This record gives sequence, structure tokens and C-alpha cells, in this order.
Amino acid sequence: MINQEQKIKIGFVGFGRMGITHYSILNTHPKVEIIAISDTLPLVIKLVEKYLKPKAFISYKEMIDKMMPNAIIISTPPNVHYEIIKYASERNIHIFVEKPFTVDINQAKELRDIYEKIGLVNQVGYVYRFNDIFIKLKEFMHSGVIGKLYDFKFEFMSPTIIRKTNKSSWRANKEIGGGVLYEMASHMIDLINYLIGKPDNITGAIKNKINSIDVDDLLACIFLFNSGITGVLRVNWSDKSYRKPAIFIELFGELGKIIADQYTMKIFLDRPFDKYNLKKGWNVIYITDVFEPVPFYVRGYEFTRQLWHFIQCIENREAKSLCSFSDGYNVHEIIYKITNKFTEL
Amino acid sequence: MERLDKIVFGDNQFFGINHMSQEKSQELAQKFSDINKIIKIYDLAIKSGIRAIMLNSNDRAAEICDYFRKYSDKYKDISWYPSIPYPHKYANLVAEKGITGSIIEVLVKGNPKSAILGILVKGGTGLISFDAYKMMEILIDAEMKIFKGLNIKVIFLQNVITDLLLGFNLGELFERYCIYIREKYKATPGFITQNMPFLVKSLKEWGIKEVAICTSINKIGYLMFPDIESYIKTCENNNPDEYQIMAMSTLASGAISPKEAYEFLNNINIQSVVFGASSKEHIEETLNLINI
Repeated sequence: MINQEQKIKIGFVGFGRMGITHYSILNTHPKVEIIAISDTLPLVIKLVEKYLKPKAFISYKEMIDKMMPNAIIISTPPNVHYEIIKYASERNIHIFVEKPFTVDINQAKELRDIYEKIGLVNQVGYVYRFNDIFIKLKEFMHSGVIGKLYDFKFEFMSPTIIRKTNKSSWRANKEIGGGVLYEMASHMIDLINYLIGKPDNITGAIKNKINSIDVDDLLACIFLFNSGITGVLRVNWSDKSYRKPAIFIELFGELGKIIADQYTMKIFLDRPFDKYNLKKGWNVIYITDVFEPVPFYVRGYEFTRQLWHFIQCIENREAKSLCSFSDGYNVHEIIYKITNKFTEL
Repeated sequence: MERLDKIVFGDNQFFGINHMSQEKSQELAQKFSDINKIIKIYDLAIKSGIRAIMLNSNDRAAEICDYFRKYSDKYKDISWYPSIPYPHKYANLVAEKGITGSIIEVLVKGNPKSAILGILVKGGTGLISFDAYKMMEILIDAEMKIFKGLNIKVIFLQNVITDLLLGFNLGELFERYCIYIREKYKATPGFITQNMPFLVKSLKEWGIKEVAICTSINKIGYLMFPDIESYIKTCENNNPDEYQIMAMSTLASGAISPKEAYEFLNNINIQSVVFGASSKEHIEETLNLINI
């Protein structure tokens, strides 16, 4: 058990681009002590040993057994998430794992069930749930600002893979859990689950390669809900016209429409909505109107809020995780359906 | 320490960077897709009295530097404030090639064969002995290549890198950066940050002084972490001989009117302001409003 004065001991599994971001953020948390880092790349281990305080390990198992952290932050390629979480679950460790949760629906289900049973904190890194605009959007949807939802569009475009790419990066390697479906579409599927609800069926799923040899670079599909809602998803990570990842959301309801991205939300209404001071016609809400500061900022306030939430859940075990393994599993359920519905070109 | 220019002309508007709206970003990127349109704005700014330019080392900056080098006679009294690196380039590189592949790419790409040999000698030792400081020097040199021959006054480390390293609490790396910038480039070391109060506190603890700090300062506290009160307090207590503070995001990406923004800013103890504008009217309006 962790008492009030004790710091939460954290270990890192995987110390690449996301691992170092999470480290930088958590290292500034007053209640956290980072005690160990593991990574399979010897170069990383050498640098950690030379410049950082936490102990370095090539093997995560050794790290867990020797250092006994209260919680671990997993930022490895997705194909090893399962075995790491399974190992940690047998040693009573709270988990924060990067998205996608796993690379297999059955593994995702098993891990969800284990953690629900042992009652430890479990969180998946679908970071857009912590974006101030999307939090507001969720509130609006919940409050019926645009009435009954009929139709939606989610797009996610980025210049991530803009040159011919072999399998040298895990993100470009299918077996390890790379590709646009796991890397990018998973974020949008989670946002759809979060903002609208879990779709019941998939149709018109297509995928294609642009620059990658092994994985897909673009995909699209149509979501169908038993309640009558329909929606489109389009994702492309080889689009050079963007400087950084860009999300476009459009929600059409019986009483209005919402167009949103990470920074702006435009709301068109048939009638005023007094609770939020929204007028008839067009309303615009900018991030500068709704942002809430965080204690420390690296690469986006959402990352800080996400990890602070994780620590908060460990401190207060009554708190409900805003993105649990169960949410991670729900994304896999949709990924599984999409994968089985792809139309061959 | 050397004083910063009170007013520095920024570059976000040219590269479609807007922290409030994706749509505005795209509009800007389209508007300035032609380099001549960028040069035209620089000329307007210079004609209005601006003598300092901040420029991020992104892909398009090379063209701009080429132009100013070519007509150096015309622009000889301009001071340059490069900011390095262009972070998205590295993020995408890692996605494409993995970490090891990225390091190789950075060391080799764009360098003539003779230079590669030099880099390998320096970097090889860096890699083999896992010397992060040598690797940092190579990366700085790679980013600074495009600015060669320009009159460099301050070299800023981009906030993604500054803040990442700040979280790591790597005082010695900050110190080595400052030493290298002073010795090799004869310039003032600078840091861009979104965590200014924390950076200042850390720099003091590490004994690092006489550096420039560029940070968001605006009336609504946008991109100011942990909060606006800590920023105002840190500025009030700051000795400009130790840290020269430059405000950026003064209009909070357009959320505040220029008049309101600078009424607020003119009453804060800062030494410099960087702003971007894309028309003669906006440049002149801003110059009239800044009174720090």
C-alpha cells in the first residue's frame, strides 16, 4: 500500500519517443519517484546509465523483480504490451500503457478482465480524451446541444510517413503493431467511442499503401449504429500538406451541427442553447476560451493531464479511470471488425 | 549580458503555425507558399524599423537565409535569432526510420563526403563513448548550417527540446549548450520554453546565467505553465543582467486584440517581444503599441 507521505515508485518500460516524453512529465510530479528504466536498445541503456538517476535494465522482467515499482509506464511497440502487462499483473503493479492497447482482441479482453478483477489502476494512452476542446464537445453532446445525432465524419491526417519507408521502424512494421490503423485510426475510433458511443457495425472499409511496404498508409470506413446513426472515418498519415497531425470532426444533429478540431469548435444551432450561452446560428469556441493550465508542459498539455490523472487514480483508488483497459478493449473490438471488413482493391 | 533587441520579427505566420486554429494555419501556409511573398513582408518590417529576425530552422528557412545572404549588403544591420531544431522533422524521421536509423540519417544527410568524415570522427567518438554532449554539438551544427554567414545574435533552443530536457533535470546539458553556443557561434544562448518560471528556477539552481529566455506571455495565460501569476512574479523578480526575457504568443494566437495585449505586456518587466505579422498595417500597429 502507498501511504500519504510515500512517493509512488515508477518504472519505465520502453524509452523511445513516447517514453522520454512521459519521463520528462512524470519527473516533475511531486508525488512521483522514477526508480528504473528498461529498454531493449543498448544505446538507450548506455545513455540512461551515464546521464540519469534511475537504474537501467535491458530486461523489463529484471527491472520489475529487482526494483518492485508501484506502477509502470509502458511505451514499447504494441506487440509486446500483452506479455509485459501480464507479467506486471502477477506482481500487483498499476499500469499506464501507450495506445494501441495490444495487437489482438483476445489479448485485450484477457488483460481487461484481469485488471478488473485485481482492481489495480489501468490506463491506456488515448490522449485526445484529455483535450480541452474534445472535453467540451463531449459535454455538449451529453447535454443535447445539437439534439439527436444523425451523422458524423472523423478525419485524421498527418505527414508522419511521407517518404518511401521500409520496415526499419516499428511503426512501419505490421507484425509489431505499426501501420495507420493501429497508430492513428485507433485514436479516432477511441474518440468515436468516447464522444458518440461504440458503433454496432462496419461497412465500406478500404485501405491502401502510399509510402509503406508492409503496412497501410490510408484507410476509410463507414460506421453504422443500431440507433440509426451513421458516420465516416478517413485516416491518412502520408499527407504532406499538413505540418502536424490534424483532426477534423463533424457532427450533424437534428437541432444543429458541430465542426471541431483540437483547437476550435464551431457550433451551428437552430435555436439558442442558454446553458452554454450559445446563440442561434453560428458560434465559435477557441481553445483559448476553454483551456485549463497544467503544472508542466511538454509536447502538449494533454500528455501532462493524462499522466497526472493516472497518478491521481493511484492515490485515490475510488477515482474512475478516464481511459481504462476496458476502453482500450472497446477500440480493439472495432479494429477487429474493420480488419474483417476490408474490401480488397 | 548583451541586451536583446526590444522588438524581434517572428516567423510563425509564414509557415502556417497558429496555436488556436487549424484553419488559420492552412490559410497562412497557402498565403506564403511563395518565398517572394515572405521577402516582401520582411522588407516591410525592415522599412518600419525592425532590425532583428527570429527564424526556425525548418525546411523553408534555408531559402530565406539564401536570399538574405545573397543581398547581404542591403541587410547588413539585421541581427538574426535562429531557433533550432525544427522538431517535427525529427519526430517524423523517428517514425519512418526508428531511433538508430534517424541518428545515421542526421549524421550523413546533406553533408558533403569530406564533412561526413569529420562528423564521423567527432560523432563516432560521441556514439562509441555515448557522449551526449558531442552528439548535441553535431546536431547544433547540422541545424545551424543554413544560417552560415548571417549575423547571429542569439541561438534559441526550441521549446519542445528545452522543456523535454528541463523535465529530465539535465543541468549539465543546458550548461554545455550555453558554452558551445558562446564559443563556436559567438552568440547568446537562448531557450524557448512553455514553463518559464520552472526554467528560471532551474537555471538558477544550475548556476546558468546570461541567457535569453523566450516564452509565451499574454493576458489570458494561454500556453503559460503552470499559471500566469507565476510568470508575472518571475518577471518582477528578474534581473535583466542575468536573464533577458522575450515574450512570444503575445496575442494568444489572435484571441486578444493587439491594443489589449500590449497594454498588459507594457506593464511587465520584460526585455523583448517577438511578434509576427503579415501586413504593413499590422506591423505598424504593433510597433506603435509596444512600449516595454
